[in-house]
Amino acid sequence: MKKIWRKFSVVLLAALFAVLTVPAAAFATEVSATAEGMRLIYANVPEDWASPCVWAWNEAGDTAFAAWPGEAMDADASNAGWYYLYVPDWADHVIINANAGEVQTEEIVLESGNAWITVTDAQTFDATTEQKTSGDLPEYVETFKIHAKVDESWENPCLWAWSAPDGTNAFEAWPGQQMSAGEDGWYTTKAPTWINSIIVNGNAGEVQTEDISVDPAELWLTISADGAYELSYVDPELAEIPNITVHVQAPADWDTPNLWAWSAPDGTNVYTTWPGEALESNGDWLTKEIPGWVNSIIVNANGGEVQTSDISIEAGKDVWVVVSSADEFELYYEEPAATETVDAAGATESTEAPETRKEKSNKMPIVGGVIGVVAIAGIAGGTAYAVNKKKKSA
Amino acid sequence: MKKRIISLLLAITVMAGTVFSGCGSDTSAATDPNTIVIWHDKEDAVAEVLQEKLNTLNPEITVVLEKKSDLTESLKMVGNDPKSAPDMYIFAHDKIGVYAEMGILSPITDIIPEDELSVYMDETLDAATYKGEIYQLPIYYETLLFMYNRLYMKDDEVPTTTEELYTYMTENTAGGHYGFVEQHSTPYYAAGWINGFGGEILDADGNATLDSQAVIDALTYHKKFVDLMPGETEYATVNTLFSSGMAHATIAGPWMIPTVKENGMDVGVAAMPVIDETGTPIAPYMGVQGVQVLKNAAENKSEAVEKVLRVLMDPQVEVDLAEASGCAPANESCYELDEIKNDEVVMMMRQTADHAVPMPNLPEMDVMWTVLGNLLTDVNLSGNDITESVSDAQSQAESLIQSMQ
Repeated sequence: MKKIWRKFSVVLLAALFAVLTVPAAAFATEVSATAEGMRLIYANVPEDWASPCVWAWNEAGDTAFAAWPGEAMDADASNAGWYYLYVPDWADHVIINANAGEVQTEEIVLESGNAWITVTDAQTFDATTEQKTSGDLPEYVETFKIHAKVDESWENPCLWAWSAPDGTNAFEAWPGQQMSAGEDGWYTTKAPTWINSIIVNGNAGEVQTEDISVDPAELWLTISADGAYELSYVDPELAEIPNITVHVQAPADWDTPNLWAWSAPDGTNVYTTWPGEALESNGDWLTKEIPGWVNSIIVNANGGEVQTSDISIEAGKDVWVVVSSADEFELYYEEPAATETVDAAGATESTEAPETRKEKSNKMPIVGGVIGVVAIAGIAGGTAYAVNKKKKSA
Repeated sequence: MKKRIISLLLAITVMAGTVFSGCGSDTSAATDPNTIVIWHDKEDAVAEVLQEKLNTLNPEITVVLEKKSDLTESLKMVGNDPKSAPDMYIFAHDKIGVYAEMGILSPITDIIPEDELSVYMDETLDAATYKGEIYQLPIYYETLLFMYNRLYMKDDEVPTTTEELYTYMTENTAGGHYGFVEQHSTPYYAAGWINGFGGEILDADGNATLDSQAVIDALTYHKKFVDLMPGETEYATVNTLFSSGMAHATIAGPWMIPTVKENGMDVGVAAMPVIDETGTPIAPYMGVQGVQVLKNAAENKSEAVEKVLRVLMDPQVEVDLAEASGCAPANESCYELDEIKNDEVVMMMRQTADHAVPMPNLPEMDVMWTVLGNLLTDVNLSGNDITESVSDAQSQAESLIQSMQ
């Protein structure tokens, strides 16, 4: 029995990995392009803008990073007040934000090449390809993120990283690079992709893990007081939520309905490209299995030309969505008692009143136009991608 | 026994021909001696190269390439109806036995003298041969390849033996990353291990051989590798694990390479590891893609058919296909050309072909895919006793083959 359960668990985990890693991998490979395929973004931000980040995308709606607020910029030690980050050179739209995404610029459309952006305030910026910093430009180093959740007795955790067996160290001196604390209890830092061994330590190096062999890919370490650890290449908190199934009935004149799904407000998308993936016929319903962490979906069709508004769902629960038209849908957390027929005109016919109706359409208006997109991004950057998609397809 | 199979297939064909007559292909094309309809199931890149080459026959001969997603089933239904059937079709060689038994194929040697076929690799001609007759003009072939993500597996870490592979897997499978993944419970992929142990699924006479010692040994040895892979390893999962950077290496078809390269992966290809137990490399199936001629076309459009075949015999067609879609040429002379010699993937398929085994083209193979799939599930996923499982599978296969008669 144990064996069967173990195998079942592995199957579940593999399936979860497969689903969870699709968008993340796409981003990872995009960012991990060679320096030739990258552009340098420099930003000089107001003093009260802490930990500036770049959110970047292109006209087609492809995003450079998995989730808002994007990737943290590094301070340029040679140019006080300036931060920099390499992004893929196809990402020619950026937003500079800070304070965990609480403040941000408007959308900045870049010319080709490197960019120097001087941010005066949220409404005012100056972007140029003319170098505004002195000295040589920082060398591009491909990196990956390392997250650690340490026992509370460990203070100021640091990362020590090196390449085995040659012993080349990534950081100048022990205990290595200090990890940044996140609100979710995880500490994070980056390491160059040429390393294959790490130690996480705390209390100025007085406590530490053993040597850990790692792949150069984003990873999570859960570390106990004695230094014992669990390694995962999938966010353990996401992995705990099982997949859910979305069931949809769409109007008859909606051709090839698709599902677009994401997590708000962090904006982590399930699919890399709008309009998402086609729903599959399954009896009376069109269905799609998606990660359990999804809390927002859109049903669309005709190649994304017609769509619902954003549909908020409870994470981790199977849902049934009866779409009557682009403006109206009904959401259930149990299968409706009667199968409803939705005709081409959008009218809903029901032979029996659904018993488990939980929620009506939120009828959130679809935002169109660039200003609308940026405004939404400002409220919840993660949603910006979805709104972009809608704008594109509108 | 064979006569009864023929009778059954013939009955299906006649029935289907009756049902389908009057619908389907343009009947004027069917009767026009200068119009050749070719069914295929190929990707656009391949079809475009072929169409461009075949257009050189215009205006004397018009060749219509018609993509059919259900090609094999459609051929079973209408293959004997000249009004609905194509004149030729391009497909893998493994269905040749089925259609030859149905009596709808013409040997290629009825049109092209056999000595002119000597330019093709022996393995491809073997694949094209059923009961002593060559039914396919080979164009290109495919084998599975050992491929690896250079971000994780350096060139000097590529395992040359299966024990090296196993060691690598034990050292690099952790936290949701896998040192190596493959579709371990899919017959087409597992066959490489069985072949590498000298086993086979069917013998030359179409008898199931799942209970042979070689198959038992292969499944037994392979199990320890399976235990270091995810349980669910169907096509999409394995491809996602590898292409998304969750697996260091895999065994997959060459069709996967453009996708992972597009995603930015620095992907390497290498020779199949040698199985320590046997001294033979993992020996995947080889699928030979080529053109088959339907009997009706061979009899009534022989002149046009021959001209089409001769266009497809031009080595440049195969060179262009290699460039367009990574197809490995069946014509031996192509491997003397720089364009081919410089293609790492094609040359690795050529190397792998030395040990690859052509997929059986016997009609009995149709039932063996399912039986072997169930056997692999029993052994790899359910953890059932191997000897008992192969015995059950053998019985099931024999029963199903018997029922085909």
